[in-house]
Amino acid sequence: MNEIGPIFRALTRNKLGAMLIALQIALTLAIVTNAAHIILERAGEIARPSGLDEANTAVFITTLFDSNVDQRQLFRDDLDSLRAIPGVVAAAPTQSIPISGSGWGSSLYTSPEMPSNEAINFGNFMVDEQGLEAFGLELVSGRNFRADEILVRSLEENPDPTVTIVSQALADELFPGGDALGNTVWAEENGEKPMQIIGIYDHMQNAWPHSNNVNYTAMNPTLAMFGGRMMYVVRTEPGRLDSVMTAAEAYLSKNRSRIVDVVRSYEEQKQRTYSRDIAMVKLLSAVIIVLTGVTGLGIIGLAWFSVTQRRKQIGTRRALGASRFDIVRYFMVENGLITSAGLAIGLCGAVGLNWFLDTQYSVGKVPLWYLPLGMVALWLLGQVAVLLPARRAANIPPALATRSV
Amino acid sequence: MFSYYVRLALSSIRKTPVLSALMVLALGLGIGAFMTTFTVYYLMSGDPIPHKSHMLYAVQLDNWDPNEPPTESARDLEPQVTYQDGQNLIHAQTPAKRQTQIYASNVIVVPDSDEAPFDELVRATYHTFFEMFDVPFKFGGPWTQREDDDHAAIIIIGRELNDRLFDGENSIGRSVQLDDKYLEVVGVIDDWQPTPRFYHVDAGNQFEDTEQIYLPFTWAIDQPLLPSGNTNCWKPPDDSLPLMDAFLQSECVWNQFWAELETPEQAAAYKDYLDNYVRDQKAIGRFERPLNTFISNVREWLEVNQVVTDDNRVLVRLSFLFLLVCVLNTVGLLMAKFLGKGGEVALRRAMGASRGAIFAQNLVEVGVIGVLGGIIGTGFAWLGLQAVEKLYRGYQHLVHLDPVMLTAAIGLATLAAILAGLYPVWRVSRLAPAGLLKTQ
Repeated sequence: MNEIGPIFRALTRNKLGAMLIALQIALTLAIVTNAAHIILERAGEIARPSGLDEANTAVFITTLFDSNVDQRQLFRDDLDSLRAIPGVVAAAPTQSIPISGSGWGSSLYTSPEMPSNEAINFGNFMVDEQGLEAFGLELVSGRNFRADEILVRSLEENPDPTVTIVSQALADELFPGGDALGNTVWAEENGEKPMQIIGIYDHMQNAWPHSNNVNYTAMNPTLAMFGGRMMYVVRTEPGRLDSVMTAAEAYLSKNRSRIVDVVRSYEEQKQRTYSRDIAMVKLLSAVIIVLTGVTGLGIIGLAWFSVTQRRKQIGTRRALGASRFDIVRYFMVENGLITSAGLAIGLCGAVGLNWFLDTQYSVGKVPLWYLPLGMVALWLLGQVAVLLPARRAANIPPALATRSV
Repeated sequence: MFSYYVRLALSSIRKTPVLSALMVLALGLGIGAFMTTFTVYYLMSGDPIPHKSHMLYAVQLDNWDPNEPPTESARDLEPQVTYQDGQNLIHAQTPAKRQTQIYASNVIVVPDSDEAPFDELVRATYHTFFEMFDVPFKFGGPWTQREDDDHAAIIIIGRELNDRLFDGENSIGRSVQLDDKYLEVVGVIDDWQPTPRFYHVDAGNQFEDTEQIYLPFTWAIDQPLLPSGNTNCWKPPDDSLPLMDAFLQSECVWNQFWAELETPEQAAAYKDYLDNYVRDQKAIGRFERPLNTFISNVREWLEVNQVVTDDNRVLVRLSFLFLLVCVLNTVGLLMAKFLGKGGEVALRRAMGASRGAIFAQNLVEVGVIGVLGGIIGTGFAWLGLQAVEKLYRGYQHLVHLDPVMLTAAIGLATLAAILAGLYPVWRVSRLAPAGLLKTQ
């Protein structure tokens, strides 16, 4: 390592060139670590389980527009027909789909005295006795709804449910002592509309992926008939989703008094909801790839040029006994010095940029371990990039020293 | 002289093809990335109704839960108003020139022909909507106060729907079947797409198409057409009443409310009017929170609703830094290239070229690289915008390269290249010719 001294002194003769590369590396580190942080955070959010059997679930939305049709009977016919399709495990009516961006939020009170700002908000899912199974939820304790407990709610009649099944997360929030099952909660203030928690299921997200109560959900034993909108969630046996969707769409489209608005696999639904996050992940990934490419190419270009300029000196060194490896090592060490300086500046840059992005746009703090990882990666990038011109330099014949040009 | 320099530049670029290609590519990528994110940002933050945006105000009233934390700014408040407040204001004599109350709904259109019925989004509103928002008409025109008062079964449709239902003919007086009801066409709107769609921006689809169906608010409530947009309630509707009546009398917010206020004085008077209205309501037991009313003009309203998302801003910042890296890259490459030209420069100097001439000639070369980078960058930006359109839903009005952006892209690339080249060019023009000639 005794050549660091001379290499460093040689560098000071072309300060600007070295500084430009160092600055480039610094900015690259700052951008890459911050972009990677945002990407991983979004990807983590998207990967959270919704609670549904995502690969084997489909969503159907239809709108009835003929007021002469008996909507309640149509619900019954639809459910009978959907459940009869080969490959269907369960089908249920619902008025909201988890992680769809649109749903019902309601609140629960754990005592008649509780003020409204302390009530617990949750995602309200109006389903029938097949709701749990159609959503693919596991009962942790308690029991499912019985068919005779399902109420019908419409613009004309508005009965209140007396039983509910809640997610484990909501149960724990309502009753931190763990005694949620069998306990009473109220849908309104002052002890109005009591309900008994008859069951607890493992996990399901509400309709809004970015809400802070995303894991608080509950099943409401109600057939919702507001306007003509009728929504179904259908779970199939593994591998049967496509055939079930085709058969279900064919059945639903037969009725001329309605239109079929949506026939969609749950995975597609989820992607639509997260489309902005997915876009952010893809755009930032593209930025990282192209940026490292540009920086790498820049290093190659500059080193290539400096090799061309120093042909004579390199030839002289070779003539004086330096091995090819010595020449390659010279360029690698030179690049290592410049890159290290750049990474040192970049470390401050990365932290500074993260501070700016976090205070302005709340992107969150970059985990500290991203920084050494990014530094090692960029350091390696520099070394790999400089290898090509360095090997070209090593091939300069020692005889060059003896020529005048 | 200039064209001679350009020819020299092109031949110099040809002499170092790899280095030149790297520079053009780096500049192009930087410009492309920045122009992609900036175009989206620029169009998102555009003024959807430039000549009137300062006179159109969205109204917010603080009717929320008294137990919730205090309201500090318009952002803390629901962006919509209750049905009853909207009705009270629209029937009152206020200082506003015009007011309109709006909500979104869905209907099924049943065509006369064999075509299958289809789903359409609806705006239920008052006749003032069309004048306030300068909606252009192809046939007919807005309905009037009288139709609002009569709860008339009339409809205004968009050009696209008119093409679909009536082959683009003048359809005034013909009828359209919505669900199982018939409405008479009184107007056909010409192409109209304010971007963002400012009159209803809270639903997360601020860049969607405008609706193809507009109906009298009064008629829509009679049916009732249920709202399809965001509906928020802090307290449940009174369940001793039929559901729809309870909903209309509730504290649920689901209507957009706009006022046209031509002068700052009028705006101040209207704000006072709203404050007094809330005080009157307090007297009958509503509005239990401290008095808060907000009016925001269109530009303020887009801010309040964060139409330009933080994601967009982060992308613009990061892609600007990316452009900076590309420019640094180019400076480095230019330095390398120009310092390698020492011999040629020395020769030209010895032949009598002044320093200024050398400077100008090399600057032209840098400029040529910049223009090439700009052209390639525009190509990249076009590709980038295609990608953005695919990645985001509802961005179709946001991803065209308009002429302003095109010119800006090439201008920016040239400027970036010239800035990047200024120092290398200066350096090369300062080279002492004698020393360099001697070593030859």
